[in-house]
Amino acid sequence: MASRRGERRADLVGLVARLALGGVLVVAGGLKVAEPAQSAMAVRAYQLLPYDLAGVIGHALPVVEILLGLLLLAGLFTRVAAVLGGLLMVAFEIGILSAWARGLSIDCGCFGGGGTIAASQTHYLSEVLRDAGLLLCAAWLTVRPRTAYGLDHRLFGQEHA
Amino acid sequence: MTSRPDASAKIKAAAPKQGPNRILIGGIVAAVAILGIVLAVILGSSSGSSGTSGSSALPQGATGTGGGIVANASTAKAGAPTLDLYEDFQCPVCGKLEQVFGQQISSMAKAGDIKLVVHMMSFLDAKLGNDASVRAAAAAACAADQGKFLDYHGVVYANQPAQEGAGYTDADLMGFASKAGISGSALTTWTKCFDARTHLGYAKDVETAAEKAGVFSTPTLKLNGKDLPLQQLSQQYLTDQVKAATK
Repeated sequence: MASRRGERRADLVGLVARLALGGVLVVAGGLKVAEPAQSAMAVRAYQLLPYDLAGVIGHALPVVEILLGLLLLAGLFTRVAAVLGGLLMVAFEIGILSAWARGLSIDCGCFGGGGTIAASQTHYLSEVLRDAGLLLCAAWLTVRPRTAYGLDHRLFGQEHA
Repeated sequence: MTSRPDASAKIKAAAPKQGPNRILIGGIVAAVAILGIVLAVILGSSSGSSGTSGSSALPQGATGTGGGIVANASTAKAGAPTLDLYEDFQCPVCGKLEQVFGQQISSMAKAGDIKLVVHMMSFLDAKLGNDASVRAAAAAACAADQGKFLDYHGVVYANQPAQEGAGYTDADLMGFASKAGISGSALTTWTKCFDARTHLGYAKDVETAAEKAGVFSTPTLKLNGKDLPLQQLSQQYLTDQVKAATK
């Protein structure tokens, strides 16, 4: 096979995927973590979950995003973090697509904010595409968690990729 | 074999300790994650703006726990449609709405052509990092007890700060009471109600109830439960819609 050079290239693709997904998660969580009430309302605005459950998720989500993001940026437990991050993206996609389909006009609240906005202000398509891109990153890292400059490799050795 | 026992120990010590290391670090990460999530949920739900007991005192005219205040219970005609008005005292567009439609809406209410129900939301407190909306709502609820709800409501919007987020001080809200025509013993009662934060719980319940009803922005107008699109709103449109909804 085109072994070593190909492997190296794939490691670098993994690095990019890891930094993209991790970076976005850290930024998204960081912007929300200081405003828990706002975050809770953003989740409620989707009108998918019972009031109290939506509140709990709204409060927990920023912390989850930051932690997963940090793991990905460090390349630590890359596969586990990528699987969880990918599941988050799937949940986000379901939320956004369902809001779109139901004719709600809300801000996704992905980076703070959230709640109802004017119909002309919605940008569901770009939100869906962005999360699809991030889902792709998660999928790559799930299949091939070995990346360049990751802590996994350094700490746990070869067999843990 | 038994002659050189220390060599195997040396080899063992030199080998990288992979298993336990990974489990240990994983355990630490998981512990941090659980701690962080639990902490965030506890802190978040105690930060106030989410629902409260429901055992709080209801102001006069409130339709129930977390319900809006019926501004014109005495004048509303039997077949008049219900206009639900969801507003936040710190919302600039609500201020605009009051400027343009406030007069019309309150005269329709006074004439009894509509049953006006005002839901004072306060989610902008979270957005703006203060508590002015919920305090103003509690203050207006105290005014409702004195039969001066619409007057107080109007004074607050007339004095909305030019810059969103500047909010209302307690002194502002107290000054609004006399501007709304509350005086004498009524003012004493109002002040007592305001100082004791009597209706703060009610105000929080209103926000919760509005969100449960799917209202996440202000102003929102519902005529007999149906959303009135803000983009189409004009005085003529409002008049026509009310006429059409009247039985």
